[in-house]
Amino acid sequence: MAMIDDLQSLKEEGVAAIFSSSSLKELEEKRVALLGKKGRLTEAIKSLGALDPKERPKFGKVTNEIKDLFEGEIAKKRGELEAADIKRRFEEEAVDISLPGRKPATGRAHLISQVIDEISEIFIGLGYFIAEGPEVETEYHNFDALNTPKDHPARSLMDTLYMEKEGLLLRTHTSTVQIRTMKKYSPPLYMISYGRVYRRDVSDPSHSPMFHQIEGLVVDRGITFGDLKGTLEVVAKKLFGDFGRVRLRPHFFPFTEPSAEVDVACIICRGSGCRVCGGSGWLEILGAGMVDPNVLNEVGYDSEKLSGFAFGMGVERIAMLKYGVSDIRYFFENDTRFLKQF
Amino acid sequence: MKVSIDWLKDYIDIDMSSSELAEKLNLSGTAVDSIKRVGADFEGVVVGQILKIEPHPNADKLVLATVDAGGGELSIVCGAKNMKEGDKVALAKVGAVLKGEKLKKAKIRGVESQGMMCSAVELGLREEADGIMILDAEAKIGSDLKATLEMADDILELEITPNRPDCLSMLGIAREVSALTSNPAKRPALSIKEGAKKAKDKAKVEIEDADLCPRYVARIIEGIKIGPSPDWMAKRLKAAGIRPISNVVDVTNYVMLEMGQPLHAFDLGKITGGHIIVRRAKKNEKMTTLDGAERELDPSMLLITDPSGPVALAGVMGGAESEVSNETTTILLESAHFNAANISRTSRRLGLISESSLRFERGSDPNGADEACDRAAALIQMLAGGDILEGRLDAYPKRISPLKLSLRVERVNDILGTDISADQMKEILTSLDIEVEEENGAVLKVLAPTFRPDLIREIDLIEEIARIYGYNRIESTLPKGETVGGLSFEQRLKAKMKSSLISSGLFETVSYSFVAPDYLKKAALSEDEDCMGTLKLKNPLNEDQAVLRATLIPSILSTVEWNLNRSIDEVKIFEMARVYREEAGAELPVEKVMLSGALAGFAILSEWHTKERPVGFFDIKGVIEKLLSDLGITEYAFKPINHPSLHPLRSCELEVKGERAGILGEIHPEVALNYGFIAPIALFELSVDALTGGARQEKGFIEVGRFPGIRIDISMTIADEVSHKEIVETIKKSGGKLLKEVKLFDLYRSKEIGPGLKSMAYSLFLQSGERTLTDEEASKTREVVVEKLKEALSAKIRES
Repeated sequence: MAMIDDLQSLKEEGVAAIFSSSSLKELEEKRVALLGKKGRLTEAIKSLGALDPKERPKFGKVTNEIKDLFEGEIAKKRGELEAADIKRRFEEEAVDISLPGRKPATGRAHLISQVIDEISEIFIGLGYFIAEGPEVETEYHNFDALNTPKDHPARSLMDTLYMEKEGLLLRTHTSTVQIRTMKKYSPPLYMISYGRVYRRDVSDPSHSPMFHQIEGLVVDRGITFGDLKGTLEVVAKKLFGDFGRVRLRPHFFPFTEPSAEVDVACIICRGSGCRVCGGSGWLEILGAGMVDPNVLNEVGYDSEKLSGFAFGMGVERIAMLKYGVSDIRYFFENDTRFLKQF
Repeated sequence: MKVSIDWLKDYIDIDMSSSELAEKLNLSGTAVDSIKRVGADFEGVVVGQILKIEPHPNADKLVLATVDAGGGELSIVCGAKNMKEGDKVALAKVGAVLKGEKLKKAKIRGVESQGMMCSAVELGLREEADGIMILDAEAKIGSDLKATLEMADDILELEITPNRPDCLSMLGIAREVSALTSNPAKRPALSIKEGAKKAKDKAKVEIEDADLCPRYVARIIEGIKIGPSPDWMAKRLKAAGIRPISNVVDVTNYVMLEMGQPLHAFDLGKITGGHIIVRRAKKNEKMTTLDGAERELDPSMLLITDPSGPVALAGVMGGAESEVSNETTTILLESAHFNAANISRTSRRLGLISESSLRFERGSDPNGADEACDRAAALIQMLAGGDILEGRLDAYPKRISPLKLSLRVERVNDILGTDISADQMKEILTSLDIEVEEENGAVLKVLAPTFRPDLIREIDLIEEIARIYGYNRIESTLPKGETVGGLSFEQRLKAKMKSSLISSGLFETVSYSFVAPDYLKKAALSEDEDCMGTLKLKNPLNEDQAVLRATLIPSILSTVEWNLNRSIDEVKIFEMARVYREEAGAELPVEKVMLSGALAGFAILSEWHTKERPVGFFDIKGVIEKLLSDLGITEYAFKPINHPSLHPLRSCELEVKGERAGILGEIHPEVALNYGFIAPIALFELSVDALTGGARQEKGFIEVGRFPGIRIDISMTIADEVSHKEIVETIKKSGGKLLKEVKLFDLYRSKEIGPGLKSMAYSLFLQSGERTLTDEEASKTREVVVEKLKEALSAKIRES
């Protein structure tokens, strides 16, 4: 029965060895030592050949049982050791998640561009196109064609920046583009234009000799003042949200009639009155009106058959109101600490 | 225009609060800038009656008055002398507030004063006063002084648009209010008592230049006595922002404010021969105006003269010599109509703006001059006495009649998008004193009154209908026309350029288009560098804004400077803006859109995981390469260049489709010195048109290889002079069809390699569109490439 005893001790020693393995490597060594080509159990199985054929099945059964046991125990141990290994690896790879991340490069569009893009998108959505025109303009396009009387104060050297070359100036509004576009295209016309405009204003918190305007023009058959109102209401809602109520007050501009100054419900107090709106509950954001028949006639449109509306707004003013910027000069200083905020 | 509500009530009933009225005016085109409450600069002042006046026991100049304050007698110490027992006075009791200060009990020279008897100055009612204010004998003892004087008033500050001269008057505003409220407006009653003497015997009016002075009305008043105006008038003038001077001058201002017609009073004694001649100034003629300044005149200016010379600058300001003085007894009262544009030009040319010129330059009512003259004459007589001589002197060579206009009912509704009836339109126009002569349901025949110079076309009347009808009542709609909008290819591309740079970490900037005349100097640029000619402004605000820039580089460098000076270590910026260049023979200068930017300081800042790296040439080149790729520009080249702003050997020119698109590189040390830059800076300036020209309109599809490829490496030692570009071209030429990509992955120089040499290592990616490549094919390609590199570039290949 020595054989049986040997097998019994092999079984016990083998299980103990598997159990005591502290790493996957050690476990593998033990596996080879037991089940490998020259392993103890393998040797024992090989030695079965020398036994009496009658005895063989009995011992064969025992060795098979031991083999199954070893394999089962090894698989179990491997599972344990692998789980411990992964846990250890995770611990080694732990990071302080409060550390700042690696930031990809981040630039920003200028706030003026952002506001222009936002407004342009609204009009593109309404089917308008964007027209462009020169900043150095003729007096004709800037004033005459826009029905501005020869002795109008806006034309004075105090208010407008003129070029040394006679008859040229820096455009004081983007309305010049309306004239050029109307002369170039035949109606219907649904356009906006935007860009730099210039006034002879000394720089202070609310004035700048250069600023931006965005303006729109529609000329078609049957365009009414009601259409102007409706369009501006859409714009105000998109720009200032649901509180973008609009109020039109009659005003005077040489190139539109009837004309209006357009207020939007104060975006700070939403109409109840505060310091920003001077207690009125309203903020003036743009000028608008029906295109003056003189302007239509000037560009060769028939003012009896066609009508239109135009409106214009200061981009910086909108940006200042919408984002609470306190001084217009921030826009042109280009301090990156300012630029990064938007 | 400042409008006192109290005064306005003389002409129209107002049955709403000042803020409600302001709202109505606001929504009909008369913008109300502010509402100010006045006359409330004191509190707790009552009417008191002096019962007894006794000398002060301790002071000769003071008296002790016992005053009935209505509910108790008070003992008051006073320094004034103008009162007597029985007088009613303005009594400030202890606790009263005068000009914001609370009155306390006080002992004056040992005697307690239980209040204060006030002068008009102490109450803030006048600027000067002789002694305390003596009130009307009827005043009720103990009543609040404010109520007694009817002091409280609201002043509306109105913004009158330049097309509405009629609204620069109380009557004009009353007319507007009448149209808005349907309450009728009333004009002041005219009751002029003329004397027996005839005006035409005393004076004569003659217009030489009727184009500039269509009408001149005058009245003569004799035997007047100059003195101060009564309180009520002084108060109204002050409320309107005009300083009271004397009864005669104040009346001219008062009637101007009331009716909008500027008036002027001459001392007739100082008008030679009593003969007024209205004519243009002669060459080199001079005169001294009321403000004491000597004015040099030119023949474009209109004068009021007498046979010996100018007596007034017509419509702008009176002359010093003919001014009404305390000794004046006879005056000639002028009420004229002048050409608006001419007054505007004269006023501007002399830099002289007056209440009078402001009204004339917008247009006065030629047919209102006589009424204003009579009104003023009557008021002067009332306040300064005297006789109004019989008859007006009225030179009006060619009567100006109201304009006849037609208004089509359908047209009104077409323009406004409304359904207003002919009757409603008639009602609105009539409420504005615009006479409707005829109305047949389709057309209104209208007379535009001469006080409304803004009404000359049908559209002007449509505006009147719209603003009185109410903009808020017009229904909102949207245009019904079909439109095809959207961005053009060029506009989309510009947006792409910006977003490419932004995603590279650059911030967009916006800087002034105008710069100082020597702006190029600091950037070491000169006018022949691409920036031909400088466009000068005629009237710049200052030297720093005197010319238009022809390049963005100096602006970009200034922005970098601004930020570096504020301890910002990492500056990455760009600007897309126009530059302006003179174009010979063209009406307008050329405006070219440029894209310029800079990287300054560190490309990467030190962080816990990264070491900082200063900006260099390859940072800016990388930004531009990404830009080209984002725009789909494939046909481009970087070429050496010598640009004065840039480091000669760390800069290059970008060519797109064989056309020069711009420059990039590290800045020249000299430029760095000019700006005082220590940090490294690299910049670029590119033409947006050139980039647009090279961009693909449509991106084509290139088959993605589906079979696995093979990557092979080639390392070599090669002469320093051989450029990366030459090596890549050589590899590409010899690599055959299978070669898809060449990438430089290592470059270094060392002692071991030896001087004049560098080590470069390239990774080549080979792939076939039809099959999986074999190792043999890869080795074969490698051999061919290696041979070519050896042969053409004398490269020494290092076998790994």
